[in-house]
Amino acid sequence: MQALRVFWVFAKLGFQNEAAYRANFWIQIFESVLNIASAVGAISLVFARTDSLAGWRPAELVALLGVYFTVYGAIQVVIAPSLTKFMEDVRAGSLDFVLTKPVDAQLLASTSEIRVWKLVDLAFGLAILWYGLSGLERITPREAAGFALALVAGAATVYGFWMILATCAFWFVRLDNVMQIFWSMYQAGRWPVGIYPRWLGVILTALVPVAIAVTVPAEALAGRLTPQALLLACAVAVATLTASRWFWKRGLRRYAGASA
Amino acid sequence: MSFLRDLYAALIRIALLVEMQYRASNLIWLIGMVVEPLIYLVVWSAAANAQGGTLGGFGPHEFAAYYLVLAAVNQITSGWHMWEFQFRIEQGQFAFLLLRPVHPIHGDLAENLAHKLAMQVALLPALGALALAFRPHAELHAWSTALFPLALGLAFAVRFVFEWTLALACFWTTRIMAVNQAWFAVLFFLSGRVAPLALLPAWLRALADALPFRFMVSFPVELLLGRVSQAEALSGLALQLGWIGAGSLMLWWLWPRAVARFSSVGN
Amino acid sequence: MGRAAITVEGLAKTYVVPVREAGMGAAFRSLFQRRTREVAAVDALEFSLEPGEVVGFLGPNGAGKTTTLKMLSGLLHPTRGSAQVLGFVPWRREHAFLRQITLVMGQRNQLVWDIPVADSLERNRAIYRLDAARFRRVKSQLTELLELGPLLERPVRNLSLGERMKCELAIALLHEPSVLFLDEPTIGVDVTMQRRIREFVAAYNERTGATVLLTSHYMADVLALCRRVIVIHHGKLLFDGQLSALVASFASHKTVSVELGAAARDLSSYGEVISREGGRVVLHVPKADTPRVTARLLADLPVLDLVVEDPPIEEVIERVFAGEPAP
Repeated sequence: MQALRVFWVFAKLGFQNEAAYRANFWIQIFESVLNIASAVGAISLVFARTDSLAGWRPAELVALLGVYFTVYGAIQVVIAPSLTKFMEDVRAGSLDFVLTKPVDAQLLASTSEIRVWKLVDLAFGLAILWYGLSGLERITPREAAGFALALVAGAATVYGFWMILATCAFWFVRLDNVMQIFWSMYQAGRWPVGIYPRWLGVILTALVPVAIAVTVPAEALAGRLTPQALLLACAVAVATLTASRWFWKRGLRRYAGASA
Repeated sequence: MSFLRDLYAALIRIALLVEMQYRASNLIWLIGMVVEPLIYLVVWSAAANAQGGTLGGFGPHEFAAYYLVLAAVNQITSGWHMWEFQFRIEQGQFAFLLLRPVHPIHGDLAENLAHKLAMQVALLPALGALALAFRPHAELHAWSTALFPLALGLAFAVRFVFEWTLALACFWTTRIMAVNQAWFAVLFFLSGRVAPLALLPAWLRALADALPFRFMVSFPVELLLGRVSQAEALSGLALQLGWIGAGSLMLWWLWPRAVARFSSVGN
Repeated sequence: MGRAAITVEGLAKTYVVPVREAGMGAAFRSLFQRRTREVAAVDALEFSLEPGEVVGFLGPNGAGKTTTLKMLSGLLHPTRGSAQVLGFVPWRREHAFLRQITLVMGQRNQLVWDIPVADSLERNRAIYRLDAARFRRVKSQLTELLELGPLLERPVRNLSLGERMKCELAIALLHEPSVLFLDEPTIGVDVTMQRRIREFVAAYNERTGATVLLTSHYMADVLALCRRVIVIHHGKLLFDGQLSALVASFASHKTVSVELGAAARDLSSYGEVISREGGRVVLHVPKADTPRVTARLLADLPVLDLVVEDPPIEEVIERVFAGEPAP
């Protein structure tokens, strides 16, 4: 429960910090609208020419986009800024401030920065998700549960993946834009993984957990989630989280040893 | 004139040396430049398959040809001026540029060219590998292939002059990245990235023809892949020249005002 | 001959700065109103420099020194007034003007970070249109004067702060400018390197007759290099003249150090006692009283040694900044 308390403190700080720059709120709205308009525009262009894409209908694709932006917003609010700052700290040597606190270092590093205005992205994501859902048949409680579980598994996998990428900073100090790889590939998540040739789909899922994070939950909403897919998503989530924790501990040991 | 040649030779050489230091970062940028065309290649191929194999004159292999050429052309004409200007202003580097007895645009042009040169080393093999995987198909003609380098060069010039001029907005606002995002959003739709311009609804197509964005990226691609007639090719080249002129005029008008703005506010 | 290198008349620069207050209420209001106020960074400056002079520009942080240098190098337009450098109006930024001046800024580098110094020099050669022979000559002169030998092939990011500063000076002087604007050139650099840089500037001025306008926090820089100082505070000119005259005008007291043979008694009747250690006492004595007080000390006490000194220059400058009038 201390974890929650720490998180709450950071959240309050983040809000106070950003409330001072309310102009950023409007800029954030502008940028989110632009982002979403581009994505929705792309979907409408495609569906102006065809009425299904690898078996996915327009409303299903909109729901997929909703999941995409919801996860995107969640990453942008806390995970991305915190871990980016962490990587900067490693480079600047100021990680010691984090390590000497009586709180688990991984927790601190993952939650130290909160960009409150990015909640706008999250809100827009949920709005799009809602809009997409309205075009689909009502989902059963079982499907809803599947969706929730898939979403949690996806979020956990993305977090674990980010953690692994960020932990690389202990070894490769000059990797400024490694996160750029993630963002470049995350774009692929706007479209269902099923459209890609098998080999590309496998690469995408293995290299960047796009499929797990976005497509699987969306499949649940579209009523096409298979138990195997759900099981795989959960397994991948557990595996990624465990691997990231192990990797983190190794990185910490190396860092402490190096600066001695 | 020989002064300019000497200047560019030195500037490009130095810029290439710097590029060598950023191999890892450049590789990461490369991934970014290739992923988006790849995604839309697959999306439109899937759409074509859902429509029985072709869509608007494009089948999966035609889409492959289009997007692989687009990836190259987009990379070759790209620039990062707005980031650069914002960085310079934050770090106080602009003062040094204004102290020099040469216009800052030369340095930026040289750096851009050097970057493109360095990137081809990785870009062309990557596109080649993708070509093996996706098997592009296009009908090439001798005359359009011969005109392609010209169209590509002109496209580079159009995009460079507009993006550099737009970057001057940095002197008036700190929100240049919002401007940048808006710019790229427009490029996404009107320069042929989200879809070949031929597949856009009529009103968007008309907009694309009236604005310079088509001539920054899409036009050379259309030309090479044999999708424009000879008359259209010639008028396209003329329009490219026209847009270069318009952009240059804007730059000529805006630059002294940007300097005046900088020298009233400082840093 | 006879034409001043730098002339400044009534030069003023006012900035408009936004007013930001603390608190949620103020932050909210600031969304709707932009409150601003005017700050006079430089106010009616007037001075001139002859060719070949080395002048120190002194002032506390925010006094207007950097703003003045930026105006004289053409980076800023003044709000009022005029200036001429080598016969040019700086803010017209004519290429012929830019080729004859240089501005060195303490915390900023024009060297390219990731590549060897020699390559940065090569770039400036092309920019300033230096022909090969001239470039070689100047480069070897600067290498010798600044002891750059081993540094030239190293990337700038691998150099220490002091080494970087030397290389910055080299690249700034590559085109043999006749006017040097040095803004805090020794800031952050260790004491030894500060001395080397000072020696270099003095040697360079002697060799080339370049005019130097130097700002610095460090009195040692000014003492070593400049016979003439211009003191500026709150944008206004406070003093312009010989350094010795500055001390003479503004020092209000002298420091008298006595060493006594017997145990020290209370000497407060002679002056303000600053320190007392065993038989050694240091007093501050008003300037006018000094001859009388020293005579009394010598007559009244068993004095082994007596030294009369001007107060440290830092103290004098502080008084000038504090706006205390000359006594």
